[in-house]
Amino acid sequence: MHDRRMRFFNLARGAAAISIALLVAMIFILISSKTPWTAMRYLLIGPLLSFHEGAVIFNAQYLYQVLAATIPIIFTGLAVTVMFSANQFNLAGEGCVLAGGFVGGVLGVYLNINSGWHWVVSVLIATAVCGVIMLIPALLKVKLGASEMVTSLMLNFIILYVVLHYLNFHFADRTKGATMTKEFKPTAIIPSLVAGNSKLTVGFIVAIAATILVALFMYRTRWGYAIRMIGINESFSLYSGMNVGWTIVLAQVIGGMLSGMGGSIEVLGRYQTYLWRDLPGYGWVGITIAILAKNNPIYVPLAAFFIAYLNKGCLLMSTYCDVPVEMIDIIQAAIFLFFAAEQFLSGYRQKLVVKTTQEDLMKLDVNQLRGGGKSHA
Amino acid sequence: MLEQLFQAIFKADFLFAVMRITAPILFATLAAVVAEKAGVVNIGLEGTMMITALFGFLFAYWTQSWVIGVLGAALVGALLGLMMGFFSLKLKTDIILAGIAVNMLGGGGTIFLLNMFTGLRGNTGNLVTPNILIPTIKIPLIDKIPILGEILSGHAVLTYLAFIFVFLMWVFLYKTPVGLNIRAVGENPDAASSVGVSVLKVKYIAIGLSGALAGFGGAFMSMYYSQGWNSGFVAGRGFIALAARAMGRGEPVGGMLSSLLFGLAQALRTKVSGLQGVSSYLVSLIPYATTLLGLVLYSISLRRKERKHLIRPVKP
Repeated sequence: MHDRRMRFFNLARGAAAISIALLVAMIFILISSKTPWTAMRYLLIGPLLSFHEGAVIFNAQYLYQVLAATIPIIFTGLAVTVMFSANQFNLAGEGCVLAGGFVGGVLGVYLNINSGWHWVVSVLIATAVCGVIMLIPALLKVKLGASEMVTSLMLNFIILYVVLHYLNFHFADRTKGATMTKEFKPTAIIPSLVAGNSKLTVGFIVAIAATILVALFMYRTRWGYAIRMIGINESFSLYSGMNVGWTIVLAQVIGGMLSGMGGSIEVLGRYQTYLWRDLPGYGWVGITIAILAKNNPIYVPLAAFFIAYLNKGCLLMSTYCDVPVEMIDIIQAAIFLFFAAEQFLSGYRQKLVVKTTQEDLMKLDVNQLRGGGKSHA
Repeated sequence: MLEQLFQAIFKADFLFAVMRITAPILFATLAAVVAEKAGVVNIGLEGTMMITALFGFLFAYWTQSWVIGVLGAALVGALLGLMMGFFSLKLKTDIILAGIAVNMLGGGGTIFLLNMFTGLRGNTGNLVTPNILIPTIKIPLIDKIPILGEILSGHAVLTYLAFIFVFLMWVFLYKTPVGLNIRAVGENPDAASSVGVSVLKVKYIAIGLSGALAGFGGAFMSMYYSQGWNSGFVAGRGFIALAARAMGRGEPVGGMLSSLLFGLAQALRTKVSGLQGVSSYLVSLIPYATTLLGLVLYSISLRRKERKHLIRPVKP
């Protein structure tokens, strides 16, 4: 009884947080748009349904596009989930996505494997490289006590400029107008799952598989247990004999690897050449997703779908109406603030708890009375 | 090549540039210092600077007065700080997540707001007029001293203000009752509350002040440094400030010294990128790499000191 009520409360609270975020978005749309109702229609239902002269049609290609957009953010969401579970506020997922994308992209151009293994090998190497990169903030934290938050933020910029340097001076294709690498070999491009131009690739299946693996790792292995336990109480973990330092490093390296994998899969799945010239932002979105998923890997794809859906909605809204696409950041920030708020609607929770307890006590009283009656009789 | 570099560095205008570049980082560093003294990690400095830079510029543009712009930026910064405070202290959102939310608003939200208010996309373009820009002042006597005058005189009002704030911050933290409360709350909130200090109120004051200081930094960026607002132009200064605070041992003066170090690194970057045969991208990472390196060295020294303390016998 009690559990069911609390679960319902948590669901309702999440829904309320999301509703507030959407309400904030709507207020901004009302202020800034000349056609607010059309804009809202595109934002909320545009990503799945398209409108033709009054008729509403389900658009499968749009659905594929939304699913395709979840691929990189499932990976970064998982990465953040693992790192935040160990209470490691490592924010270098952003840089690792870029580094992974770049390494994967370069391998896609220059590696000589004439089979379907080409992209697999490229992605795996990019994954490993990003794991190694993440050793920097992890070891600095464990060995020197330097805040992983600050070092990882600096690392993002360092990665960005190192990548730009190598892109411009070593791997740029000078025959093209913009700065990008040569085209990927056909074997390096991740095959598509569906017909059309939606970019829904095998990467999506890899992302789902990664979700399952991370969930198993976190809840069915002792390393995952150690990571979660350190997040809950580091001192307890230390006194109970866990290798806290090693586990902290492990969590961050896994985070780096997942981010790097996401970056390389995104680059090799979506583009023909490597062309990112700025931090792509997936690392930050990953944090939103981890919050929406309450740090539980299983919910990450769902949260990623939600964000990708909103993103697509914002994109449609900015294409067909006069609302800038950056609306998504305002929505995300609002979700962030309310969804992560532990005390949001706490007054209501308090009432629920009191009510439940009172009911329990009443039941207890009744049972005792009955029990008492029996013993007398 | 090195010779060229040295020639460029040992000039008054280089040190002038160091001061100019340091100023916004210094504002943000002081913001980080005061927040963290009260035990609040303000990771939202980056976003606060982006947002206040925009609003400072817009206020100044609407009123054609740089003073109102700067004050408006500080006010918006304080409000953002209080908002973070409300969410973290009242609704118990993790303060780091609240900060990241502010950074998101600073990243994309500002582009949206700029578009909403002016219809422009990505930068303020030709809205800049001389009225908006923060004026520079010549200091009467120092101006006449040959090299020192060139370095110290002719800066923007806010540049001087940044360095004055270092002193004021020290006075505030160590010589006023509120400052004492802030430090007490940061060191041990339970002890502070047991002697009747309102921990919540003190934390609100600290984070509001932190936001206001970041607001000055933001105004400096859009109304003097870049002479206009454009997306992403704070470029990690808010994050660098967090590192500067850590390296400066969380003290105003220490923070100033490490801010100067980053100012130096950034000024070096502009000088080096002017030279032939140097990758502009590798040069761009100098400030960030310096920050990382500085943080590492600082952490090592801290570890050593801790070890010494552990080994030293306890005096009776």
